[in-house]
Amino acid sequence: MASDLLSIAKSGARTARIALDVTAQNIANASSEGYVRRSVQMEEVAAAGGYGRIGDISLSGVRVDRVVRNADLFRQAEVRRTGADSARINAEVAGLENIETAVEQTGVFQSIVDFEASLQRLAADPVDPSLRASVMEEARTMTRTLNIASTSLDAVGNGLRFEAASDVEQVNLLGGELARVNLRLARAADASSDQTQLLDRRDLLLQQLSEHVDVSASINADHTVEVRIGGTAGPQLVSGGDSYPFAMATAGDGTISFTLDGAAVTPLSGSLVGRGQALEKLVQIGDDLDTIAADLIATVNGAQATGAALDGSAGQPMLSGTGAADIALAFNDGAGIATAPAGSPAGSRDPGNLDALRSALTASDPAGAMDALLFDISGTVAGRSLTRDAIDTIAGTARIALQAQAGVDLDEEAVNLIRFQQAFQASGRVMQVASDLFDTLLGIR
Amino acid sequence: MTIFSTSTSAFYERSRQDMAVLRKRAEATQEQLSRGERLSRSSQDPVAASRLRTLGRAERLTTIDMGNANRASSDLTLADAALSSFSDFIIRARELAVQAGSDTMSDAQRAGIGEELRQIHQNLVGLANARDSAGHALFGGIVSGDAYEFDGAGNAVYIGTASAGELSLGEGQSIVRGVTGPEFVEFDDAGTPTNIMAVVKTLADALGGGSPDPAQSARDALGSLTNALDSVTTTQTVVGSRLAWIDLTVERQTDLGELRKTEEAEIGGTDIAGTVVQLQEIMLVLEASQASFSRLSGMSLFNSLR
Repeated sequence: MASDLLSIAKSGARTARIALDVTAQNIANASSEGYVRRSVQMEEVAAAGGYGRIGDISLSGVRVDRVVRNADLFRQAEVRRTGADSARINAEVAGLENIETAVEQTGVFQSIVDFEASLQRLAADPVDPSLRASVMEEARTMTRTLNIASTSLDAVGNGLRFEAASDVEQVNLLGGELARVNLRLARAADASSDQTQLLDRRDLLLQQLSEHVDVSASINADHTVEVRIGGTAGPQLVSGGDSYPFAMATAGDGTISFTLDGAAVTPLSGSLVGRGQALEKLVQIGDDLDTIAADLIATVNGAQATGAALDGSAGQPMLSGTGAADIALAFNDGAGIATAPAGSPAGSRDPGNLDALRSALTASDPAGAMDALLFDISGTVAGRSLTRDAIDTIAGTARIALQAQAGVDLDEEAVNLIRFQQAFQASGRVMQVASDLFDTLLGIR
Repeated sequence: MTIFSTSTSAFYERSRQDMAVLRKRAEATQEQLSRGERLSRSSQDPVAASRLRTLGRAERLTTIDMGNANRASSDLTLADAALSSFSDFIIRARELAVQAGSDTMSDAQRAGIGEELRQIHQNLVGLANARDSAGHALFGGIVSGDAYEFDGAGNAVYIGTASAGELSLGEGQSIVRGVTGPEFVEFDDAGTPTNIMAVVKTLADALGGGSPDPAQSARDALGSLTNALDSVTTTQTVVGSRLAWIDLTVERQTDLGELRKTEEAEIGGTDIAGTVVQLQEIMLVLEASQASFSRLSGMSLFNSLR
């Protein structure tokens, strides 16, 4: 008989201790981000019978086979994919909402309507200096709000590009970190606590990376990860111990594009893409606003040119500039408004040219164009918000699914604690029995 | 082995998400109530927001239109009053002409009447140069100065514009904003075009010694003065009907404004009763989920292990 009761008990006690340690570790990390629940896999230690020892019983107890890391690769990939989508749409909606605020809260629409209204009031008495002054003031408010809207749009663009630059920095940082983890993973012993910790780190880094840019990760046999951007056929960001530089370029109109290791790359999702999409919308809205401002300038100045000012002189351009950013009043005196047709004497009450200006404004309809612009951006925000809610729900579900499988359940750990404590106590009892047996044998007289 | 089909962190995450959604909805409802408006930004309902903008613009322009209508109305009322004074003066001139036409009058007395008529002539020209609410010539069309001035011979000559100009009342309606002098001053006197001021001045001159038979001249002028009175009265009727037209238009604008307000309230206003009920419902669900969360999270196996 090759079994040794004492050593079997010892192996049992030691294994129970390790299992208790792992349980304690699980409990301690119940809320650590990226921690994946461990469980201990045990294996019996027993010698197989050999030649001439067929009936022999050779038991040597138990040993820890490995510490299992309960991670599901598919659910992790899902969390990354849906997380990248969610980050993209959230970044886009945030950018679009800022654009909406920039053009709506500045009150451009209201100021254009007020300008129209002041012209309409002037029609009641075209030579009234106070009505003329009110037209000038409304025109000034209109040019100022257009300036403010344009400046706000620029600020939104700068903010988006700043955030995108910080995203790019993060991508490079996380890529470098992943490459280092890869190097250490290649050297780590299988199933060691060092390796499980590195795997946790690797998965957490991948998840963080996916918030900035879409990640296609393939895991190699040695647990190192290869990361590609822009789909599975895209260029590599991380391969083995190497990471490649990811960079952003800003075009003249403010839109952004990306390169990876010098070659152009088109990311599919992640917050970077969302910001890029918001920037594209920003360019379009900025152009539309400029068109409205340019139309206003052309319409008002065109009408001014066909009329006579209060002093009978030919009407001068009232607005200067070429777009929303630089539109301004060309003169400040209300007497310069050309209400009378060209050739009228000084002080003429003939509203002929004012009527022409008003009908030209009705025809070019800047207020209607502004309404269309606001509808465009708010409609886009509304549509994207719906998509965002749906994608957020999907991403949340994926995250919960992963946590449900990989996270720590405290009740389960409580049960394990009792179970392994009992196992430990039982092994101690076995030692007691072994000792008693020994004493019995020694006590034979 | 898993006791629940979930991990502790998944339970907390799910509860957090659910309660965050409820809380967000409750806050959105509360915001609607406290603002009294359903929309705080266009993207909440782009179509309704665009409609609200259009309604707001129409509202703004209508306010101006009504202001303009009030202005036209007060100018026309002033014109009406001036026309009444005009007819009073003409009636007085007619009385004087009747007196002067009587053969019992001496030439000296007629000359005195002529003096009063000359005064009436001055008053008529002064009235024709009356000012509107903005200080412009009431009967001068869209001229910048006076409507009438005296020529070398002391005759009043119209120097205003041919038409009074139109003023928009909104909704495509417009109104002729006033009456020009010639419209009522000049009239057709038995086939010959003449004007009231000229008739009065001619009579005054005749009575003052410009005529060999002043009594006959006075009797001749009677018919012309009657025609002049007719012309003024007719114009007064026109002014009255324009005032009525403005009233109609303003009434219509007010009705339309009310309709717009109703639509605005329907599109953009908060349905207080409905929203409060909704808020109550959300609060109930939120309270229930908070209570159940605190009970569930307080239920740990560790508490039972001794």
